[in-house]
Amino acid sequence: MTASAADRSIFAGYHPIINYVFFGYAVLVPILFMHPVLLAISFASAFSWFVYLNRGRGLKFGLGLVVPLMVIAALFNPAFNHEGATILFYMNDNPITLESVIYGICAAVMIGGVILWFACYNAVMTSDKFIYLFGRMVPAMSLVISMALRFIPRYRAQAGRIASARRGIGFDVSSGKFLRRVRSGGEILSVMVTWALENAIETSDSMRSRGYGLSGRTAYSVYRFDSRDRAMLVAMLALMAAVATALAAEVVSVMFFPLFTVSGTSPFGMAAFACHAAVCVIPLALDVREDVVWRMSLK
Amino acid sequence: MTSGAPRTRRGFDLRFPKTVLVAVVVILCIPAAIAVNVLAFDGRAYYVTALAIITLSMLPFAVAFEGRKPQARELVVIAVLVAITVAGRAAFFMVPQFKPVVALVIISGAALGPMSGFVVGSLSGFVSNFIFGQGPWTPWQMFAFGMIGFIAGLVFSRMAAAIGSGDAPVHARGGNASEKADTDSVFAQPDGTAVWGWDVKGRLRTERIRIALLCVFGFVITFVLYGILLDTAAATIFSSSISFDTLLLMYISGAPFNLVHAISTVVFLLLLARTMIEKLERVKKKYGFMQGVS
Amino acid sequence: MTIFEINNLGFAYPERAVPALDGVSVEIRSGEFLVICGKSGCGKSTLLRHLKTVLTPFGERSGDIVFDGRPLASVEQREQAARIGFVLQSPDNQIVTDKVWHELAFGLESLGEKTPVIRRRVAEMASFFGIQEWYGKSVSELSGGQKQILALASVMAMQPDVLILDEPTSQLDPIAAEDFIETLKKINDEIGTTIILSEHRLEGALPRADRAVAMASGRVICQGSSSEVGRALRAAADPMLSAMPTPMRVYLALESEGENGSESEREGAPEGGGNKDAHVPETVREGRVYLTEKLQDGAGGGQNGSGGREASDHPDAGEGSGRSVAGQDTDGERPARAKGEESITLKEVWFRYERSGNDIVKDLSLTLRAGELACVVGGNGSGKTTMLGVITGENRHYRGKVRVLGLDPKKAKGTRLSDAGLVALPQNPQTLFTRNTVLSNLIDVAAAHAENPSDHESVEREVRRVAELTDTVGLLGFHPYDISGGEQQRAGLAMALLARPKLLLLDEPTKGMDSFFKEKFSVMLRQLCADGLGVLMVSHDVEFCAKHADRCMLFFNGGVVSEGAPRAFFSGNSFYTTAANRMSRGLIAEAITAEDVIEYVRDRARGAL
Repeated sequence: MTASAADRSIFAGYHPIINYVFFGYAVLVPILFMHPVLLAISFASAFSWFVYLNRGRGLKFGLGLVVPLMVIAALFNPAFNHEGATILFYMNDNPITLESVIYGICAAVMIGGVILWFACYNAVMTSDKFIYLFGRMVPAMSLVISMALRFIPRYRAQAGRIASARRGIGFDVSSGKFLRRVRSGGEILSVMVTWALENAIETSDSMRSRGYGLSGRTAYSVYRFDSRDRAMLVAMLALMAAVATALAAEVVSVMFFPLFTVSGTSPFGMAAFACHAAVCVIPLALDVREDVVWRMSLK
Repeated sequence: MTSGAPRTRRGFDLRFPKTVLVAVVVILCIPAAIAVNVLAFDGRAYYVTALAIITLSMLPFAVAFEGRKPQARELVVIAVLVAITVAGRAAFFMVPQFKPVVALVIISGAALGPMSGFVVGSLSGFVSNFIFGQGPWTPWQMFAFGMIGFIAGLVFSRMAAAIGSGDAPVHARGGNASEKADTDSVFAQPDGTAVWGWDVKGRLRTERIRIALLCVFGFVITFVLYGILLDTAAATIFSSSISFDTLLLMYISGAPFNLVHAISTVVFLLLLARTMIEKLERVKKKYGFMQGVS
Repeated sequence: MTIFEINNLGFAYPERAVPALDGVSVEIRSGEFLVICGKSGCGKSTLLRHLKTVLTPFGERSGDIVFDGRPLASVEQREQAARIGFVLQSPDNQIVTDKVWHELAFGLESLGEKTPVIRRRVAEMASFFGIQEWYGKSVSELSGGQKQILALASVMAMQPDVLILDEPTSQLDPIAAEDFIETLKKINDEIGTTIILSEHRLEGALPRADRAVAMASGRVICQGSSSEVGRALRAAADPMLSAMPTPMRVYLALESEGENGSESEREGAPEGGGNKDAHVPETVREGRVYLTEKLQDGAGGGQNGSGGREASDHPDAGEGSGRSVAGQDTDGERPARAKGEESITLKEVWFRYERSGNDIVKDLSLTLRAGELACVVGGNGSGKTTMLGVITGENRHYRGKVRVLGLDPKKAKGTRLSDAGLVALPQNPQTLFTRNTVLSNLIDVAAAHAENPSDHESVEREVRRVAELTDTVGLLGFHPYDISGGEQQRAGLAMALLARPKLLLLDEPTKGMDSFFKEKFSVMLRQLCADGLGVLMVSHDVEFCAKHADRCMLFFNGGVVSEGAPRAFFSGNSFYTTAANRMSRGLIAEAITAEDVIEYVRDRARGAL
């Protein structure tokens, strides 16, 4: 489950700021700069970390959600975008261009990578980390999020209880025609809404009783930015800055239309790829190293 | 029990200078984002630019909401509605393809006003993705649901107060102290109207018109705002260039899904709107929730 | 030192003619453990809520409240938030955030404490309450008892001087409730926090309290040490006496014979209750000591003990013994009515939720006959509620035979079982209320089960009949959430009865009921059984089952391990039994209720004369 992945991952044990900086970079760079090498590195690291985090269950998800999306993305562009100089063939009088096909493939890898990074994010990031980051910026909204996350499992369980209670006094809830089922769902929801609203009064009493609403509320968190975090942040930012410089100086660049041109084969460009790879592989490397060290220490 | 309670202001409050400031900054930032896109990315960073724009346009709402220091009761009601919107699917386990999210956001906006409507909507989008998995679609859903709640609040808050307070049948509202004492009179309606919930015809008609309006609104806004916005978002991430043709194609291919979504919203509004608005109005009145909230 | 001084406090809710509080004067000393008792609706919650300004209800008020030398109203909110801690009834409702650590820090965040301070205080609280293991968990993973401890700890983190608790154990099972009260005692002893506790489960609270206040209809009827309160209630023959711990009830009944006018033994004191200064036994241990002495004082002391013990080792042998209350009337007051046909037959039934999961119901065999009231008792998580699901068909057994009203629940589609007369009342009646008034909820059910739903008159007649039976006529016009918990139970029961049951399943029906309503409820059940209804009830409430069931079953590890008529059943158990039985074990054979003990001692005294 997700909780166990979050507990298991060493990277998840770093300060939330580190986590967010990493994911921000990992998601934005491929979207903004669709350089094939950057995309390939990104996708490969996302995929391997994802499989590592989720053990066996990862592949099924990958095939189930990511692949279809990637196929759509790969087909969408050549089919509807006819830019590009190199015409491969005509389909229904529309030119299919090489550039568009390449763009489609790159877009597919980009989308696949982004979805996989998000999947890793979902496995590793808990609400605590989000609350830590936004609890100071938007305290009321993050409290609402925390409360909603507390209510949701309760409400789901309650929906089940209401359904069986209604069944218990002879109302059929789960069979019959479609509209009848929708209607009985409405009855269940209606009971749930009243129950939730009336019980929420005690929740707000409990908040006010513990001083909510006094001025000068602070935001506590269990996270401490320690020396390990500081070292990691410095290293990460340095690598990211190197990649950014290379991109800004167009040492590494890509152009799809009208002609597909890539740059980055210079030594400086290679160094930028290396830096990008170094960033992307951080979480996986940390987790694997920890596993190895742990196993060694057992022997 | 007539609707004699003091009417609270429901408009989007701009009293806070901070909100105005943020709004101005946002208005300046949006062209800046587009400029960056054109200059630095040859106008091709559609997704990120669009993302920046919608994120920026959510900022003033966030600042306004935080700025008025919402009290415990208001926060709890908003959190309850967010949770119900997300967990509501559990109540419809027997029809899994129908999701009541948009309908519940519209009802929340109508009952609580535009500001709370926006917050309920956008946080529902966020929290549901917290549970079902965040993705590149999260900000778009937040924005779409938020705007739906906001607009529903602007258009319907007055009407919701009418549905919830004055016009419902006596027994269905819980009655007041004197009615409670005399239960026989509840039974003893000559035509059984009070017992059976049939109401005076005129009232019923106005109420039906109100619900019908809400449904039309729900259909249009689900199809147009939610459907079109999310299809556009998909186009920005899939396509190398945004043209009228690619967008049109996206909209056409998305139309069947959006149509089902819009219809299910109407079904849910028909089913839930009246009772939910009544319940929310009851809680607002009974416990002084959202009093003095604008 | 006085921490709270309540002077002549009166209060009335808006639009209510009867005041909720009337002339209440109580002085609460710093560091004491005070229990406020009284039946639900007596005003104890209203009183407690007056002790913290943010929780004070709206309405008309008179009199004043002084906190630590100053009028409470003039004490700043910040100070009140920190110094007056308040724990509410429902563990689920009062927890605000989704994580344990965040909940612990919530109050300190409100007070604007800095992170290092919060970190230290939270750590202290987590270790004091033993929460370390679940510190990083989500709240939804905790049990009810753990949640209430968390609620308590998150209030204690603010280091209050006074801790006010409004029926904090009413939603907990008996073991968790006992743990909770014990934790309160620990706080009181080790930190010195003043504790003000309102309770209806007095068996655990009263022995630990320094002082008690008894309330009825908004007034304080007596206050003092628990012995004093017990004597005063006895003297006034107050019905609240039935809520007192069993040892107290036995003592007070036996030691005030003279006053009662019955034949006196020993020196029956005029002021209702033995030697005026003597301590009234509160715990089972004290009760045993008292009872042993009492029986020795009478004729043939020593023999009694051994004789009784013998009898209890062989429950059936008790019949011949003069010492057994079970002698001539083994459940005689409840003639075996269980002659109807079998409504439920479970034979070697097995069930698990998931294919790879553990069996929750194992090798379960059980029968219930029409007209019988059978109770299933057993610890938390033993699978009792799951078993109810097997009977209703919600949980589909994978082995064994299940017949409910002649049908196999696995095969009965749609509403066939309920059409046959199976009705289940859920633990929380709130899950049933769809409509805005009690009346419309009742009509909904009645119409759904009427032969001709459009025949309004007959439906109305049926609703009226059931409303009268369940004493809900006065509630019909109310919103179901505007009535008290006990009233909601009654409305839920009315809904269940309108579903025309032949077989009624009840899940913890007495949870949250006060002892007064329990009596009423038992009368209702008896009447229904007399009309041929079979009732299967799952409960933690051994006292209730001992008193009212026809048959009791002990559920353990997925199956029924022992069963019998309550008298034989409970005197056969040595731990899972009633307080009266534990108190009289080895002294009196087969006594399972306070009344049994009292009657036995009286009979014996009569015989001795």
